[in-house]
Amino acid sequence: MSEIQQSDSGGGDKKHSKVRAKKSSTHIDMTPMVDLAFLLLTFFMLTTTFSKPKTMEINMPVKPDKPEEEQKIKESQALTILLSANNKIVWYTGLGDDPAKPPVTNTADFSLNGPRGIHKVILEKNQDIFTKVQLTKDSIGRGLLKEDEGKKHIASYKGFKDGLVVLIKPDSTAKYKNVVDILDEMNVCAVGRFAIVDITESEKELLKISN
Amino acid sequence: MPKINMPKKSPSLDMTPMVDLAFLLVTFFMLTTKFRPEEPVIVDTPSSISEIKLPERDIMMITIDKDGRIFFDIDGKQTRANLIEKMGERYEVKFTPEEVKRFSVLSSFGVPMANMKQLLNAKEKERETINKETKGIPADSLKNELADWINFGRHANPKFRIAIKGDGQANYPVVKDVIKTLQGQKVNKFNLITNLEEAPKN
Repeated sequence: MSEIQQSDSGGGDKKHSKVRAKKSSTHIDMTPMVDLAFLLLTFFMLTTTFSKPKTMEINMPVKPDKPEEEQKIKESQALTILLSANNKIVWYTGLGDDPAKPPVTNTADFSLNGPRGIHKVILEKNQDIFTKVQLTKDSIGRGLLKEDEGKKHIASYKGFKDGLVVLIKPDSTAKYKNVVDILDEMNVCAVGRFAIVDITESEKELLKISN
Repeated sequence: MPKINMPKKSPSLDMTPMVDLAFLLVTFFMLTTKFRPEEPVIVDTPSSISEIKLPERDIMMITIDKDGRIFFDIDGKQTRANLIEKMGERYEVKFTPEEVKRFSVLSSFGVPMANMKQLLNAKEKERETINKETKGIPADSLKNELADWINFGRHANPKFRIAIKGDGQANYPVVKDVIKTLQGQKVNKFNLITNLEEAPKN
């Protein structure tokens, strides 16, 4: 890349015995400067793209002023997930607020494809909505549906009134990571209706028993 | 025989336009880059598949480290200066203009109001030890300073979004306290900062 000086540029003057100032080339070797410029360029390009954090948006249900206004969830559509220490998950269907009928608990883990992964449990219960959402996403991807229109469809599927409602109840030993993982699972499985709820005393007992 | 004179071409290439372009880009990236501000604690956020980017401005950041200490950070020099003065009035701590100025350029902080003066007057090394030893901003029901920070911050600029940056190993009750505090302020929409993780395919 460097410049090559033309050797014949000042050659004709040799006959003259006059002392002349040496004619130096006006070219400067710019290679090191270019190297540096590109080095800096690469550095800044890489640092800008990597420092943007991603976020997960969550909307907590607005607390109604009067307790009577609270929405009632049907027993059949509820799935309660209890989170505890050491990544333990205990889940049961229903609300579990009827003392006469203690819920049947199952344990699960966070593995995606494992035999007891919570992913499968949620997906199975939310299969209808998940399929619809997936199809809509596909058609957006193939350009059959406009993006904002498709998003509207997805939002309406997720807000389906009789769809699955997941109640997430972390106990006092649960880690923040577990909560985020479960919230993430809600996104993956296209569960639109979920809430983080305080754990009750009877559920703490359930966690203890299932140890 | 006609002589073919090959035009004598210099093998050198004029690099000036390339250099111009390179430096233009360098300048552009230098000016647009916002370096991550120095943070008092290292937080290892959990990962999620969410691809929503955090807005660049108007962010109120609540950091929770793995020991469950709460730190608070808010954008904007002017906002910060107003905020510290309001908090000073509320907790009856007088701040000198010098201290207000220092607060406005500080990044995240996690000390109770009682120790705020100490943090502001500390040198860099001392500040590190303060950050290491502090218990974080109190957010329990007895003494909820975090609520005041959020409240005054939102008064200063209602557009502020609230982001929670929690360490994956933090105990959930601390996060619950923070969320309760937020809900107490009628904030029901907020962001959780996470790392990107690839979505499972099925």
